[in-house]
Amino acid sequence: MKKQFRKGRILAAGFLLALSFCFTCQSPAAQKKGMEVSSPVRFDSGKAPYPKLSDYGFFTGIQRDLQPNAGVLPYELITPLFTDYAHKARFVWMPQGTQATVAADGRLDFPDQAVLIKNFYYPADFAKPEADWDVVETRLLMKIKGEWQAFTYVWDEAENDAELNIVGDIKPVSWQDEKGHKQNIEYLVPNKTQCKSCHNRDAIIQPIGPKVANLNKDLRYPDGKTENQLSRWQRAGYLAAGDHGQKFAKLAAWDKPQSGSLQDRALAYLDVNCGHCHHPQGPAHSSGLYLQADEQDLAHLGFCKPPVAAGKGSGGRQFGIVPGQPKASILLYRMENTDPGVMMPEIGRVMVHTEAVELIRDWIAELKGGCN
Amino acid sequence: MKFTQLAILAFFCAACNSRPSDPGDVDTALYNDLQTQLINAKPGDVINIPAGIHHFDRPLLLDGVKGVTIQGAGKDKTILSFLGQKAGAEGLKITADSVTIQDLTVTDTKGDAIRVQDAKNVTMRNVKTTWSGGAKASNGGYGLYPVGCDGVLIDQCEASFASDAGIYVGQSKNVVVKNSYAHENVAGIEIENCSNAEVKYCRSEKNTGGILVFDLPGLPAGNGKTCKIHHNKIISNNHRNFAPEGNIVATVAPGTGMIFLAAKDVEAHHNEVIGHKTMGAAIASYHIVQLKWDDKNYDPYTYDIKLHNNHFERKKALPDLSKDFGKMVNVYFSGKPQDILYDGILDDKRPGSSNPMNICIDQPQTGLRFANIDAANDFKNINPDLKPYQCK
Repeated sequence: MKKQFRKGRILAAGFLLALSFCFTCQSPAAQKKGMEVSSPVRFDSGKAPYPKLSDYGFFTGIQRDLQPNAGVLPYELITPLFTDYAHKARFVWMPQGTQATVAADGRLDFPDQAVLIKNFYYPADFAKPEADWDVVETRLLMKIKGEWQAFTYVWDEAENDAELNIVGDIKPVSWQDEKGHKQNIEYLVPNKTQCKSCHNRDAIIQPIGPKVANLNKDLRYPDGKTENQLSRWQRAGYLAAGDHGQKFAKLAAWDKPQSGSLQDRALAYLDVNCGHCHHPQGPAHSSGLYLQADEQDLAHLGFCKPPVAAGKGSGGRQFGIVPGQPKASILLYRMENTDPGVMMPEIGRVMVHTEAVELIRDWIAELKGGCN
Repeated sequence: MKFTQLAILAFFCAACNSRPSDPGDVDTALYNDLQTQLINAKPGDVINIPAGIHHFDRPLLLDGVKGVTIQGAGKDKTILSFLGQKAGAEGLKITADSVTIQDLTVTDTKGDAIRVQDAKNVTMRNVKTTWSGGAKASNGGYGLYPVGCDGVLIDQCEASFASDAGIYVGQSKNVVVKNSYAHENVAGIEIENCSNAEVKYCRSEKNTGGILVFDLPGLPAGNGKTCKIHHNKIISNNHRNFAPEGNIVATVAPGTGMIFLAAKDVEAHHNEVIGHKTMGAAIASYHIVQLKWDDKNYDPYTYDIKLHNNHFERKKALPDLSKDFGKMVNVYFSGKPQDILYDGILDDKRPGSSNPMNICIDQPQTGLRFANIDAANDFKNINPDLKPYQCK
């Protein structure tokens, strides 16, 4: 019964999606013009968080199709955070006339009332991601009176809309992966406090992804144009003028060998997936293991570093990274594990990121030295 | 009809609450209620957790709200079981100042039972942490685990079966652990990289090592100092070491009462150190663990240690053979347990020749087995002479 209903709805959604694509490709001018007129987004930081995602008006039409309203700009990251193979549709919105500036370390400083919108969805068939999908949750990071706040919206059964959830949830999710294997997991929707366990710098909530180094790539926009994200943000008035891309080295794409050396890609992956906690000002600072991109100290990066409070997370291994010996490296052991008491990151996954494990394994294997 | 069904359901729920049930019976309603209260808490709020065995599959988290009390109905009445934990490694994870946790038990977490990080004025009172399957390497590392805190009071708590330390205070300042009971952990009570800590009137029994004061390299808190260990009963800590390799406590030899490793300014007095098969107390520099470090500010030496008025009583048994320290005692002391061993590793920069590390041992009991094991020279000149270290 439910399945039939879903199928019908999906067909209708697909039809509408096709229609909307036709609309956008036929009238890019109208779309562009829409960006310049005042945004139909409704956001009053005094009243946020709203009970439903649709209350904000970030998306037009059928909500689950995630078609951005005017002023809502999609973005992608060169190397993203892994969340159980979820696909992520990211958007940014800012009040008219406001823009982000670039901090000394290349992070973007967003204006008040900026909202980062991250939708987590699973295509039914990863080989055909456009055909059908399930949206699980949408996370909003909104800057209110100078402070970021995190809110999660969980999509209802029929995926008509998503409701505010502060306590978190565990949702069954299934899909068919690129190799045709059926995957079933219990996906963890984080609670409000857990959001902060990753989005955290000096105990204050911070976005992770939007840094110049990680945004500096081309994207195909809904208006059909392909454009570098930094210049598009500038053109939309969302980013201060300047040649930011020149100042900060582009992050390697962890999964694209042409984007950097094995080491560049491994460190990029560790930066994005671990460096938000394992940072001198991050929640994992007490471990003394720092994995953010600018860490220069090999011992802090885990080279021949004994664990501090790993418990069984050590897996009986002596050091974080033993150059040349992936099987002796705790870092890899924790990435290969799914026991909540062992695995890293601590939350945000119930699966092993097999491809990233391969990357880190290859990197450690090619390192020279050992720990004796 | 409906009412009857409800009544039957209620009866069943009451019945399963009164005894441990399998981890499938996750009380999501209670979890959501408590976690919502924790998220919406205002400073000074008391969050009550009712009596019963409650099965949760995720940790309870508190962040950023001052002065919250998490209150159970009693240590043996409110039991939070994480046997079926699916996400998050801890039972309670807290990053909030002036938090009080009292009158409850946390069992079977995948990782640490209660972790409080980067908080000021933390109180844990009448709290118990344990793993119901007994001593296993797969148990979580720590039971009660404040780290990076300023102001820690652990009072009347109980911790058992942690695969690292039952009560572990790390990188914290102004710490008091008292009237507490740690048993059958690898380390009973461990004070690591702390300044101004006191462990008193505790019972640490049947662990691998009783009370450890450690200072480790590569940590943001840097070198700890000043620790008082007194009026504790440190009894029969002869448990096999079940810590996973790689962790520093995995090097502790079963049958160890106290260890001062790279510790500075420690006074241990009026402790009863009874029934250990390897050694009552070890005073050692970090060099003894033979690990490299890359931390310019780290001070690996142990100095300004004073032991007085303790009562040492050895176990009549063969010292441990499973760990290097135990083997060393067997080899160099003909299989006789020792009371106090000092590694004799000196920091050349310190003045004086006979006792530059200022190790002071005022233990005038007859038959005390003491030795400087001369670890720096491969145990060549093991010296049982206590005179250089005698003091008042």
